[in-house]
Amino acid sequence: MEKKSVQTTVIGSYPVDLNNIKIMNSYFNQELFSWDPVIKSAVDDMIKAGIDIVSDGQTRDPFTNIYIRKLKGCRIRSRPEIIGKVEYNGPITVDDIKYVSSIIPKENNVIGLIAGPFTLFKSCVNNFYKDEKQLCFDFAKALNNEAINLSKHCNIISVDEPFFSLGMPEYASDLIKTVIKNVNCTIRLHSCGDVSEIIPDLINLPVDILSHEFKATPKLFDCFKEYDFKQHICLGSVRSDDPRVESVDEIKKHIKKGIDVFDKKIVQISPDCGLRMQSRSVAFEKLKNLAFACRDIYG
Amino acid sequence: MFSFTKKQKILNISGIEIGGQPGKYPTVLFGGLFFKGEPDYKNAEKQIINMIDISKKTGNPGVPDFFIKKEENVENIIDFIKKTLPKNYPFSVDITDPNVKTMVLEKLGKEKLLSRTIYNSIHVGITDEEKKYLKKYTPNTVILVSFNPKDKSPDGKIEVLENGAHLTSEGLFEIAKKIGIKNIIVDTAALAPGDYSGAAISAIPVIKEEYGLPTGCAIHNVVEKSKWLKDFKNSKKPVDAASNVNIPLFGGDFAIFGPIENSDIVFPIIAWQDILISEYTESYFGIEPVSNHPRRILL
Repeated sequence: MEKKSVQTTVIGSYPVDLNNIKIMNSYFNQELFSWDPVIKSAVDDMIKAGIDIVSDGQTRDPFTNIYIRKLKGCRIRSRPEIIGKVEYNGPITVDDIKYVSSIIPKENNVIGLIAGPFTLFKSCVNNFYKDEKQLCFDFAKALNNEAINLSKHCNIISVDEPFFSLGMPEYASDLIKTVIKNVNCTIRLHSCGDVSEIIPDLINLPVDILSHEFKATPKLFDCFKEYDFKQHICLGSVRSDDPRVESVDEIKKHIKKGIDVFDKKIVQISPDCGLRMQSRSVAFEKLKNLAFACRDIYG
Repeated sequence: MFSFTKKQKILNISGIEIGGQPGKYPTVLFGGLFFKGEPDYKNAEKQIINMIDISKKTGNPGVPDFFIKKEENVENIIDFIKKTLPKNYPFSVDITDPNVKTMVLEKLGKEKLLSRTIYNSIHVGITDEEKKYLKKYTPNTVILVSFNPKDKSPDGKIEVLENGAHLTSEGLFEIAKKIGIKNIIVDTAALAPGDYSGAAISAIPVIKEEYGLPTGCAIHNVVEKSKWLKDFKNSKKPVDAASNVNIPLFGGDFAIFGPIENSDIVFPIIAWQDILISEYTESYFGIEPVSNHPRRILL
């Protein structure tokens, strides 16, 4: 099947209904609790909604915790902490992505999700490093191992750096370069929030696709207009922070506005950000309308 | 051996003292009843009398731990407790079904037994209904089971106590505090064999050093589920009983040791271990054992 020129996808997280009683019953019976059914419920919703490129739903934890929990030198007690030199300690999300690949139809693709090194640094209490830049690069090196492993099982990797919108470090480009070194798949950089002030830095990043919240921050259309850049665009088209479900017409209008500005640079249509904070029914309806609108426009 | 820098809480549960620095108080032993089949009250009475008798001989407090599986057993088991146990003698109720939990709490309240009750347990599977009943019928003491399916290490156990690990909206400590629980003891959640089951032991000194609360676990569960032990027919029972010595050795305060029928083996083993610990904690740290410590009674 020929790949669509514009595909629908997600930023990452998706809400799921966890059954804590079931989790505890597995503990009482001394049985291993499998997270696969939880992942499957998120993936099934994405597929049913008509999304082309699906994620694992980041159902295990808030996205930074997924990484902090597994990296050497980090721990989570009452909050994420750095307590030693940060190093890769083995695959983090690879098994979940492999599982996703095994349960989706052949025509769908998989996106692997990496919490960016700067965002991880900003999310932790640092009790070990004197040099914050060194910490960021140690995160980046550790994440590079994960990205290389992950790229063998997915079609695209998204490096998520929400903290960039609050100010990018001068070494941001080198950080991203470190994360994606020797990674042979499409790389998307997602940064939510108002990124209007950092566009000149964003367009210098060594990534294939830039992903931003164009729905919540429509002024980004005008801001991006002023720049010539090589990356493609993942167009955030429904809000992730608002339970109101945008209609298909509203989404189509938004996509058309995006086409006016970016034309063929648009390769992905997605929600603004992860949908974890919404109810499952709202998240599903948002994705369904998004997929419908995209099909109406791009076929 | 070691002593904790954090001041250790000593709880008095209806005459039984639990907690403190290693070597000070005898290990409290919970013997289970009614875990398999229908309750056999005649045998249970015999076993309770035997446990109390051995407890007097070694000095280790023995607490009968009643498993209440079905709604139809609630009335009879609680009536049995009231009738059989010596006046004011503490006991624990071990219940997994949320509906049975609320029924038991109501009945314990009605029978004025809550001051002697150790509620086993509060965990991430707590329901709103259970919280409501616990507020109305508040037991004297509650065991918090620090099981965290996301992170089975000692850090993960602390995480679930502190903030619920994003499985509950708040940590188990906060839940217990809001209910108004007076006495809290922590179960470090022994896991299935091969599933980081040793963390239940290594978490004991970590949690005691962090919070100073009485801490222990049901490490025997790991033995019970160790399939390889089936090849050693004569060894299962001694291994099961011996596994409990890890708890006082790592500074723990209580062991939920499995079937009460094992009292004859478990009490002497733990008394022996308590004596050993007391000898060197007194010699090195100057911690004198209390008058009912096995070292005072048996030597």
